[in-house]
Amino acid sequence: MTNKQSLRAVAAAVALALASGSVLAAQVPAGVKLAAKQTLIRNTGSEPETLDPAVAESVPANTITADLFEGLTSADNNGKILPGVAESWKQADATTWVFHLRKNAKWSDGRPVVADDFVYGWQRFLDPKTASPYSETYGIFILNGKEIATGKKKPSELGIKAVDKYTLEVKTPYPVLFLPALVANTQFAPAPKAVIDKYGKDWVKPGKMVSNGAYQLKDWQVNSKVVVAKNANYWDAKSVVLSQTTYLPIEDSNADVKLYESGQNDWVLNLPPGTFDKYKTQYPKEIHNGELAALRYYSFNNKDALLKDVRVRKALSMVIDRDILAKKVTADGQNPAYSVMVHGVSGADPSSYDWAKWPMAKRVDEAKKLLAQAGVKPGAKIKFTYNTNDYHKKMAIFAASEWKSKLGLNTELESLEFKVLLKKRHDGDYQIARNGWNADYNDATTFLALVECGNTQNDNQNCNPKAEELIKQGNQSLDPAKRKQLFTQAVKMIMDDYPMLPLLQYTAPRLIKSYVGGVGQNPLDRYRSKDLYIIQH
Amino acid sequence: MWSYTFRRILAAIPTLLAVITVCYLLLHMTPGGPFDGERKISEAVLANLQAKYHLDLPLWKQYLYYLNSLLHGDLGASFRYADWSVNDLVASALPVSATIGGSAILISLVIGIALGVMAALRQNSMVDYLVMFLGNIGGAFPSFILGPVLVLIFAVTLKWLPAGGWNHFDPKFMVLPIMLLVFINISTIGRVMRGSLIEVLNSNFIRTARAKGLPLRTIVLRHALKPALMPVVTLLGPLAISSITSAVVTESIFSLPGLGKLIVNGAANRDYTLVLGLVVLVTVITVVFNLLVDLAYALLDPKIRY
Repeated sequence: MTNKQSLRAVAAAVALALASGSVLAAQVPAGVKLAAKQTLIRNTGSEPETLDPAVAESVPANTITADLFEGLTSADNNGKILPGVAESWKQADATTWVFHLRKNAKWSDGRPVVADDFVYGWQRFLDPKTASPYSETYGIFILNGKEIATGKKKPSELGIKAVDKYTLEVKTPYPVLFLPALVANTQFAPAPKAVIDKYGKDWVKPGKMVSNGAYQLKDWQVNSKVVVAKNANYWDAKSVVLSQTTYLPIEDSNADVKLYESGQNDWVLNLPPGTFDKYKTQYPKEIHNGELAALRYYSFNNKDALLKDVRVRKALSMVIDRDILAKKVTADGQNPAYSVMVHGVSGADPSSYDWAKWPMAKRVDEAKKLLAQAGVKPGAKIKFTYNTNDYHKKMAIFAASEWKSKLGLNTELESLEFKVLLKKRHDGDYQIARNGWNADYNDATTFLALVECGNTQNDNQNCNPKAEELIKQGNQSLDPAKRKQLFTQAVKMIMDDYPMLPLLQYTAPRLIKSYVGGVGQNPLDRYRSKDLYIIQH
Repeated sequence: MWSYTFRRILAAIPTLLAVITVCYLLLHMTPGGPFDGERKISEAVLANLQAKYHLDLPLWKQYLYYLNSLLHGDLGASFRYADWSVNDLVASALPVSATIGGSAILISLVIGIALGVMAALRQNSMVDYLVMFLGNIGGAFPSFILGPVLVLIFAVTLKWLPAGGWNHFDPKFMVLPIMLLVFINISTIGRVMRGSLIEVLNSNFIRTARAKGLPLRTIVLRHALKPALMPVVTLLGPLAISSITSAVVTESIFSLPGLGKLIVNGAANRDYTLVLGLVVLVTVITVVFNLLVDLAYALLDPKIRY
């Protein structure tokens, strides 16, 4: 396919997506009677570190800011990309996108949302003075974004331009086919300059914040709750059913369930470990367990004297029975994983190992042979580092027992406080360490970051130059199918090096009251209030 | 008395400074920084963050910067709660902890002292055994067991009270946490009161009072109760401090936005300014409560003069 043909294919796909997906919010099925009171209480797991979309980093902060702010596009509760403030867009050439903004988009104070609000918002997001933790992660996809985030260029040099009041032009450093999905993240939301100038850091406080999303900030009590209420000035306000959402910062999953059972919470974030089956029986109509674009894995330090031998890494990976781990050890509905790429992520397919289907006895025989070839004898010691947490401890004990009973290796378990583990892992000061990753956006590149040469997120210290070349080619490709093929091939090549030990694909085992409608299934686990509604009960 | 109080306050300043300095050094020596997360931040972005919070300055400069801010009543910006200053966070959490902790102490004192007196006056009787048994239940069960039991009974099963949370000092959200703290406190207060009163009742001046034919009620209320309260008063300082500042478990069980939660999150997140701010607060509260206890001694015991 030529570049022109590819562009046409992309444009057609975007058009099709727009045609098939209604931009309307909560899709209340015919016959469903809505409750008179449309309010929801849900747990987000911890206090948001900020409600400033440019600085937001955590899941709670991103969840709440997605209600308060809307970018050029937005993602519905099934993860589908829909028009946001932009009603249409097109890829003008390989590295240029043009977004056409709707004229009826307004801030909560009634002012129109215009292209300059996006230019200011994006420049502010990447400005080193804002110090957004995501500036470089997302900045690499916008022309000069990385250079601005790292202080090498000025924010005014960012590849975004207001062509007129309602047209935006965005330049990327290379073809970024998933840009419409990327800019749904609220870090790319517009920002109300006048309000920020007036209030400074306090602009995000109740009574001061001006936002352009379906909701506006009503109340915020630190470590107690954040309340958002319907924004009457939102361009699609007529489709917004839920009038108010209260976000709770409950960290303890047992307390979360108790609040649910006492009727104070409609949405448990995560069930306590090992209770999935119990609650599935107890609340069959309320149990949810959607698969997430997230991976539990163990990092191998590929530069370690013992683990630099791929045979050792392979042997250690082969003998871990992921089925038993998922069903008996963690027992919370998660799925076995054999690749850095998980199911449901766009842009690449997960790879798997041939041995994954072998009987365990055959896997053990093969693993023993590999260790013998590598000169590792039974009784050899390995050190496994994890952070102090019962869940991780259970998994660590299981892994150690697999390595001991099947290969005769002795594991020294090292339990560290979370920040200490992170420091050691990032510094490469470990042998095998617990690790995990949640996708930042729905594209293969978010997972490739974990295994790319020299990537900041690569704790394994591995590098495969041949795979790197395929990734580079994929990033330059304008053809989504070709890109996917290249990335999938790269993933397979990298995973054959056994740089890490993939274990489980995360799911979100939770309880949601049966009267909450519009929940859907979202691999990024982002559910906006705009799509939800309360059924009469 | 005033001069004593003034001297005690002055003496607290070097204590406070020493506590801040040690805590400051320990925090910076602890591995893992405030911006270490599962997703590693690149050096350049980390530098942006460090510059924003003055962490790019040499340690001694940061320390002087912090002390200077402190002298101006500014506890600094929180690293974790980016939109709030530590002053904001303390101002929102302290009233919650003080309300829960203070109410629990007052109720515990009334019930604990009453139970202790009852048990002491009927030593080795069924009443004594019953009171001590009930008191011991509160003391024997850890709060992380007793708390969920209360939630199960009053929130989940009976649905009389909220299982947790907080809503602008709405009293119904306070009942269960206060009940839990009272259960825990009354066993200690009751036992100390009982032992102390028994000891006082066996002392010579009470024996003299009995010999003079004074009724028991008069003996207890006018002569025995005041000296018997001394050990309870001694307990009050640490009890009040722990109720207000260290109610970590209680706040976790009932998801309360108090100081305990801030301390735990501050330490886990390496939120240096937040931890230091809370250390300053705890030190000041400790000094004040110890001073109040010492002053209360003088009121209760005529032999003590400052």
